Parts: sequence; structure tokens; C-alpha cells
Amino acid sequence: MNIGELVLVAIESIKSNRLRSFLTTLGIVIGIAAVIAVVGIGQGGRAMLMQEMEKFGTNLFGIWVNYQEGETMRPGDLQMTDITIIKEKVPQVKYLAPATYEKMQLRGEKGQKSVQIIGTNADYAQIRNLKTRWGRFIRSDDAAAGRRVIVLDEKTAQNLFGSGNPVGKRVMLMNNSAVVVGVIKNDSSTLGFSSQQIAYLPWSFLTRLTDRDIIHEFQGSAVSKEEVEPAMNLSKKILERRHNSPDHYFAYSMEQEMEAANKVTGIMTLIIGCIAGISLLVGGIGVMNIMLVSVTERTREIGIRMALGARRRDILVQFIIESIVLCLLGGLIGIILGYGGAMLIARLAKWPPLVSWWTIVVAFIFSMAVGLFFGIYPANQASKLDPIEALRRD
Amino acid sequence: MIKINNLSKTYSTGSFTVPALRGISLEIARGEFVAITGASGSGKSTLMNLLGLLDRPSAGSYILDGIDVSGLNDDEYARLRNRKIGFVFQAFNLLPRLTALKNVELPMLYAGVGLTERRTRAMEELTRLGLKERIHHFPSELSGGQNQRVAIARALANDPAIVLADEPTGALDSQTGVEIMSIFQELNRNGTTIVLVTHELDIACHSQRIIRLEDGLLISDEKVTAPLDAGKEMRSPAEQGDVQ
Repeated sequence: MNIGELVLVAIESIKSNRLRSFLTTLGIVIGIAAVIAVVGIGQGGRAMLMQEMEKFGTNLFGIWVNYQEGETMRPGDLQMTDITIIKEKVPQVKYLAPATYEKMQLRGEKGQKSVQIIGTNADYAQIRNLKTRWGRFIRSDDAAAGRRVIVLDEKTAQNLFGSGNPVGKRVMLMNNSAVVVGVIKNDSSTLGFSSQQIAYLPWSFLTRLTDRDIIHEFQGSAVSKEEVEPAMNLSKKILERRHNSPDHYFAYSMEQEMEAANKVTGIMTLIIGCIAGISLLVGGIGVMNIMLVSVTERTREIGIRMALGARRRDILVQFIIESIVLCLLGGLIGIILGYGGAMLIARLAKWPPLVSWWTIVVAFIFSMAVGLFFGIYPANQASKLDPIEALRRD
Repeated sequence: MIKINNLSKTYSTGSFTVPALRGISLEIARGEFVAITGASGSGKSTLMNLLGLLDRPSAGSYILDGIDVSGLNDDEYARLRNRKIGFVFQAFNLLPRLTALKNVELPMLYAGVGLTERRTRAMEELTRLGLKERIHHFPSELSGGQNQRVAIARALANDPAIVLADEPTGALDSQTGVEIMSIFQELNRNGTTIVLVTHELDIACHSQRIIRLEDGLLISDEKVTAPLDAGKEMRSPAEQGDVQ
């Protein structure tokens, strides 16, 4: 008797007891559906997090000064010449920009607003993936020509000038004025990182305004994902050597941040997945229970099959396959439900829906394993029956 | 075909041992139609179980179709049951969830016969027993007589050396019982060896040889000089105008 025929026998027996088969397998259905949904939602959530983080810019890294406790900020720790040298000597660095942060009151035709000012250069737009709504970002010749220009974000532009294109208009700041040359699109980040209002000035213009020659950090991007680590480390090394101060600089990359976030979401998924897995275990015990009842109920059938020449092994395999088929059917329904659930939640939460093929394969194999594991005991009971006793039973 | 020597079987329940068969020797030749009779508790069911390889003797030897079965394991027992023995039971013992056709296919399934051949042979057997129109019916949709005919078709499916019939008419009315006996007689005329276990003497009288058991011992073994012809019995009521 080959496996194909045994599967057919099992399907026939499951079909002839539709309601009970369905109830038996319900535990598996729920368990698998829960696992698929949880893993799918977890993966979707993680993908969304990654997407959001990539909006900050890809292959991003930053370097700042690692001040010890009590140390005050020293001008000259990070210099514009450092940027030129690093870009010259480290081919892995694609863009590198200074960033100096100030808070300033800006005034326009229609209103005023206190915003975050970033003094930087042209590379910054590339690094942070900034898109202009109107006009342009800071250009490299702005600093050289000593132009007093400012780039606003959309929200700030609205605060200062109302709706409409403000390019060419003047903004008053610190008893000075700057010409608006561009407006940056506000991205629609759902994570809320970009709720802050920002205006960008050429770094040289900012230092002139504040009369402080300071750079808070360097932000850069590497030529590729693989080169982020070398780009970051080589830049740091050059700084240490140029300023003759080892361990004075601290470098970080977005990759590291992403990995950390990945780890957190991974652990969350694992924990919830484990809880869902417990329901699978309970489902499996339910299957074993019903299989035991089924063996008792079908004692006579077993006796008849033995009288007709079924070996103990044939009976054993028949019941194990029945249990596996039952669990596989449950698994299949569970996969469909779980997939549907993950899709639904992804749509509601506006996450990318993600149920990877391996989740489905694992769910399939797992439900089969549950069937096998919880089918062995009842099947063994069935195969050990005495044919005469079994035939006598009603 | 069958040769048993000093076969005995005792059942032990706790500290009691109950002898069910106390040394029986007998031979059944190919093509015989033998009835084993006796009151309940005489040991005929035990003998039937031993002959059918459903049970193992406590002592004695059993040679079936030239094979000494005493040293064989469970799997070999199952294989011999499958190939050499066709069972017909009082309660039909068909699988209720399978159609007549699939029931007849079962022994061939365990013999490893392929699907198409299995189906053809099952169809042939059922047609031979006049159930051509009923092959896709479930046991619950068939009468007692029809069910027993399905069971006989199943018993014949693997072309067994002997057919063991355990009270095959016990669950049927007398007329249907005679009908079943006529099928056995017909099979026997075509060469099938039949061992019939019954406590009804008028049923036993359809065989050619009656073996009586009492208290686990063989008390008589007689040839039937003029066996009843079930075919004639069936025809006679029809002649009297009792047409069904």
C-alpha cells in the first residue's frame, strides 16, 4: 500500500466526518493564522520602519566630537578644511557636510517664527535626501561669493510668507536679512521625526551672523552601503591624526541605528510569535485528543482492516497520515486567514504588507510536524489492537 | 489445504486458565465444503480464529496451503490472511463509509494491487454476485443479503485458498440465508474451498462434511450423504407462486 493511497484513505475518512474534522483542526487553524499574522505584521512594521529611516538618507554617517564630562566645546575641533581633506583622501566618502545648529527668530512679510537653523553646505541636501519645492538648495558658490541666502522648509515658508512661492523675498534674522533662494518639501514621515521646522543657511553666513566659528558635527554619506563602515572609520582616523587627539571623535552610521531597530522589532516578533506558537501546541493536543476518540470509535474498522490483511504498520501509517492531513488542512486554512489578517492590518496601518514565502513554508512544515507528533500516539494505540477484540467491538 | 494437529488454545484471565480448544486434529482438502458446528462455547469460534490466523494456538501445529504458520510473525500472519483467506462474517463487517466497490477493493489494496486492476477485479466480482447496479452504493443503502454478497465478493477478491464463513446467515432471514448458501455452493462447485461455522444444523446441511465440536473437543466428523441444494430450495417457493 503506497503513501498516495493512504493519503486518499485519510482524506476519505476526514471527509466523512466533516464537522468533527473541522472542529478538530480549528486549533491548528487559529494557531497558524496567528503565527502568520503576527510574523507578517512584524515584518511589515519593520519594513515600514526601514522605509522611514531611509528617508533620512541612505548610507548615512555622522561624526561628532566626543567631549568628556566637564569639557566645553572648542572651536577648531571640526574644521571646514577637514571636510576638504577627508573628501580628497577617502574615496568611500561621497558627500560630506558640516552642520551647526542654532535657534533663531525669523521674520517675513506675513509673520515670524522661531526655527531650528542648520548652517551647512551644498552636500547636505544630497546626504539628507532633501527635495526642493521651489528654487534651489544652498550651492557651493554661495559660500565663496559670501551670499546671504536662506532655504526654508515648506511650513516655515508658510509661517513667514503665507502660501505661494517666497523665492526672492527677504527674511529678517538677527538684525540682518537673507534672501530666500529655495523651499524644501516637508516629507510625510509617519514617525514624526521631521515635525521640527528647519531653515538652512550657508555655514559661512551663519558663522558671520553668530560670530562663532564652530561646527557641531559632520554628516556624510558613503558611496555604497558596504563602504559606510570604512568611510566612517577612515574619516575619523584622519580627524584624529590631523588634530592629534585620539578617541576625541565619535562616529555613527544609520546602518547601526537600523540594525538596533531591527533587533528590537525582531525580538518583539519572536515573543509574540512564541505566544502564537503556544496556541499551536494547544491545537495539536486537541488533534491528539480527537484522534484518540477516533481510534476508539473506529476499533471495528481497524479490526476489519486487520482481518483483510492490513499489517500493524499499515494501520499505524494510516492514522498518522490522517492526523498529518488533518493538520495540513488546518494549516492551509490558517495560512489563508493569517495572510488575510496581515493584509488587512497592513492596509489599516498603512504598512507594506509582508508575508514572506518562507513564513508560509515554515507554517506548512510546522503544521505537518504537529500532525506527525500528535498523531503518533493515537496511531500507535490503533496499531496495537488485537484483531479479534477489535472485530467484536461495536 | 488445511492440516491441523493437536491444536489447542487456552485463555488465561488472571489466575484462571480457560481451555477453549483441547487438542483438535483435522485435515481439510482442496475443494471441500466443510461445516463446523457446535453449541456456543464449544470452541468453534476459537477454531475459526485460529484457522483465520487472527489468533495463535497455545499448542499444536497448523499447516495452511503447505505453509507451517507456527513460526511466523505478525506481518507474515497479516500477509497470509490477505492472500490465503477470505472472511465472511455474520455482521458483514463492511466499512460503512466506503461504497461496495471500495469495500471489495480493500483486500487488494493491502495486497498492493494497482488501482485500475483493483477496480476491474472488484467490478467483476460484484457483477458475478449480481450487484452490478449497486457498486457505488454504501452498505447502509443495501439490504442484508446484498451486504453479505458484497462481503463474499470482498472475501474472493484476492482469490484466497479458503473462504472462512462465520455464521454468514446469522443476521439474515431464512430465505435470504438460503440464497447466500446457494452462492457458497456455487462457489464450491467452481473449486473454492469453504469452511463454514454455524450453530444451525439446517445451514450446516448445505455442506458436504460436518464437524461437531463440544467443550473444545472434536466429537464427530461425518460426510453428508445428501447435502441440501440451496438452488432448489430457492426455486420451490417461486413455483408455488411466491414471486418477489
